[in-house]
Amino acid sequence: MNIHDIAADALRHAKEMEHAECYVIESLTHSAYIDGSRISNVETKIDSGMSVRVAKNNKLGRACVTLNNKDPTEKCVRSAIRVSSFSPKNNMFKGYPLPSRPSVKADVFDKKINDIDERELKSILSSVIGACKAEIPRGSVRLSTIRSVVANSNGLLTEHESTMVYAHFTSMFRGKRNGEGTGSVHGAFLNIDAEHIGEELERKAKASASAIPFKGKETLTMILPPCELGDMIMSSAGSALNGENVFYKRSPWTDMVGKKVASDILTLTDDPNVPGPLCSAFDDEGTPSQKKVLIENGILNGYINDSFIGNSTGNGMRRNSEDAQNIYSSGVTIKPMNMIVRSGRCSCDDMIEQTKNGILVEKFAWPEADPLTGRFGLEVRCGHIIRNGKITDTINNALLMGNMFDALAHIEFIGNDAVNQGCITTPTMSFSGVKLAGN
Amino acid sequence: MHDALLKAVRMMQKNGAEFCDARSQIIKNIDIRSVNGDIRHLSDKTVGGVCLRAWMNGRWGYYTTTFLDDIHEAAATAVKNASGYPRERIELNVKEIKSKRTQNVKIHPDNADMKEKVNAVLDVDSSQVRDKILNRIGAYGEEVSKNILINSVGSEIEWEEVRTRFRAMSVASDGKKMERYYGGPDGTCGFELVKSIDIEALGRSVADEAILTLKAKRPPSGSMTVITDPMVSGLLAHEVMGHASEADEVVKKRSFLSDAVGKKVASDVISMYDNGTVDKAHGTILYDDEGTPASNTCIIENGVYKGYMHTLESASLMNSEPTGNGRAENFGKRIWARMTNTFFGPGDRTLDDIIADTKHGILCDKMVNGMEDPVGGGFEAKVLRGFLIKNGKITNMLRSFTLTGRALEILRTTDAATKNVEFDGGMCGKGIEDWVNVSSGGPYCRSDIIVGGG
Repeated sequence: MNIHDIAADALRHAKEMEHAECYVIESLTHSAYIDGSRISNVETKIDSGMSVRVAKNNKLGRACVTLNNKDPTEKCVRSAIRVSSFSPKNNMFKGYPLPSRPSVKADVFDKKINDIDERELKSILSSVIGACKAEIPRGSVRLSTIRSVVANSNGLLTEHESTMVYAHFTSMFRGKRNGEGTGSVHGAFLNIDAEHIGEELERKAKASASAIPFKGKETLTMILPPCELGDMIMSSAGSALNGENVFYKRSPWTDMVGKKVASDILTLTDDPNVPGPLCSAFDDEGTPSQKKVLIENGILNGYINDSFIGNSTGNGMRRNSEDAQNIYSSGVTIKPMNMIVRSGRCSCDDMIEQTKNGILVEKFAWPEADPLTGRFGLEVRCGHIIRNGKITDTINNALLMGNMFDALAHIEFIGNDAVNQGCITTPTMSFSGVKLAGN
Repeated sequence: MHDALLKAVRMMQKNGAEFCDARSQIIKNIDIRSVNGDIRHLSDKTVGGVCLRAWMNGRWGYYTTTFLDDIHEAAATAVKNASGYPRERIELNVKEIKSKRTQNVKIHPDNADMKEKVNAVLDVDSSQVRDKILNRIGAYGEEVSKNILINSVGSEIEWEEVRTRFRAMSVASDGKKMERYYGGPDGTCGFELVKSIDIEALGRSVADEAILTLKAKRPPSGSMTVITDPMVSGLLAHEVMGHASEADEVVKKRSFLSDAVGKKVASDVISMYDNGTVDKAHGTILYDDEGTPASNTCIIENGVYKGYMHTLESASLMNSEPTGNGRAENFGKRIWARMTNTFFGPGDRTLDDIIADTKHGILCDKMVNGMEDPVGGGFEAKVLRGFLIKNGKITNMLRSFTLTGRALEILRTTDAATKNVEFDGGMCGKGIEDWVNVSSGGPYCRSDIIVGGG
């Protein structure tokens, strides 16, 4: 059976329920790894599965199965019905989405990815290795083709086809102390600039190897490039804009629509029209996706929702931007398709030039703010100290401390070098008033 | 399935594989999660498939699928993926094993009543009700993983792993700020794990602690004496020393512990192990995903570095024995050298005794997360909260903070550890993906560490 037939079959088996929804997905992934600057594992991965959600008398249940035998559909539906019978009533549930016309045409399919063979895959990795004069101890590239269908008992039927590119590399430069660089690629098209990736990996590893431990404490400006900033924004603003967190009042931006939450220069839009690996005409519940201005010139305009929270904005997602495998086993979560920070005019060099005392972070241990409080205390594994508009030192072994919600209210500059980081596209930005502490 | 796997192994051999294995896996999960008295998630997941692996020319070729309908094509693709410019010839050291084992649990999740599981979650949720509690969260999860592995040296192994976890988390608010606290057990157990605890006491305690945390003060920053609790001790063992002791990082000389065997890397107080056989710990396994039985690897003994955790490949490259650490997230993912239960061994002190002779320091209480640094040996651990110690006495509660520093410098300053070792289960990624079940732990340890908070 094809994925349309499986979805239709599931709905037939779930006729006894008041509400039913079936999500079926199949994917083909080609991946290859670098180990110790040489190509090692090469993988071909075929995956398919389905997820069924059902509801009756507001008792909800979900089941998912891999499509690994000849008749998985009935088993999956029966499991969902069985678990729903143990569920207490959930009065928040208002039903699954109704059929609607799309308002966005998201073309994120690259035939080259669909047709790639293992030689071409190895050739991409060879080019990265060739362009990097530092070692690449570990790296991988993953190219996936995804096809999915959502059907529900309201007569909704949507389909989605896309391709996805994900790559991640670490580089290492041997010196008095070994230095490490990292780089990643998120996208929907096979336009990997292997030479640029290799050169950047080399530059970052060399910078890290030259870093010296930071001593003392000071308050300064932090400049974060897209690769470090994306997760910082997602873990703070992304979490605060999530309708579920707002509903349960754990978002610090609950009841703040129309109020100022960030600097005047910040405008944040979720725009599925701008190609990204998660962009599609419908979300993974079948609700049409739409362009939404979430923060305009620092003022909060609204939140993103799925069908459970209600007033769905087309942000009920199961897919992620890194891996096409086992997507059917993920529950629906609220996620932007492509949250875009409106770019400014200055380059990263301009920002450095206009910074009196600051740090340009090359690499955090892990960029993340606390979603409830916005607080962060992050180990700087490589950063460049700025004095009077010039980089003076490269440091490590320090903690950068602050609050990301406060930082968003104290943005100094927004750059013009936006890069997609999965479900967010952001340029470099600088923020005043964070603390740096060393030994 | 057994016959299909055997056929796949023979086909891969016929296609030229020097060594090959075929593994099938079915992972069944029940997940229940409540928020403020509503069941938000109630799901029954079954994920399964097959992984064929061919070793040829010093590299692996993989083919993974959810439906092994064309064994010829699958076997040929796995071997083709291993082809290409030959690397050095390496013969893998694989022993033949024929075995069938299941984990010893008292109440298998399949035999526990679903209604009882749902009620346990709702009970731990309702017992968190307090004025200042904004969100009450209860969570139950069970995982039953059935595995069959057949390889080209004649091994035929079947095994089942069972895991259960139970959590309560409260988010407290005083209208101005929010704080959270969590707790709950986990392990390679069945439903007896839930039956063995006082569910209401767990919920009440988590809610009360979340409310108390609202009064926590901002932590100091700078280098300080820090008493890490078993969770944070475990994070230090796992994230820095553990990841850097995974032999696939050592083979590439990416690890700062490459060439460390026989060297003094920590104070005498520190011994460290990765033990996949700890009874009921969350990271316990019967076999790794290459069919090697779990074992106890001594990594550090009284401060002296002893050895690494191996896969079949890294053991052959380093002329060592496989240690049962070749693990994959599931059948669809690559096998790496991974930890199981990683922990510092016990000391000879009591916590009260260590606090009493600490003049100025911090006592940690629960971790948030941490990040590995096998290249630089740096340590980053986010701690949920802590307590300030002044003149041997606990004073103010401190809100979340981060610990950092160089692992070897920290461990050289460790001067005290308590007698009891505790474990905490969770998921571990290799870099930023490939999540496997592990636990980490240790005693309370006292060291000098850099502290900072936002």
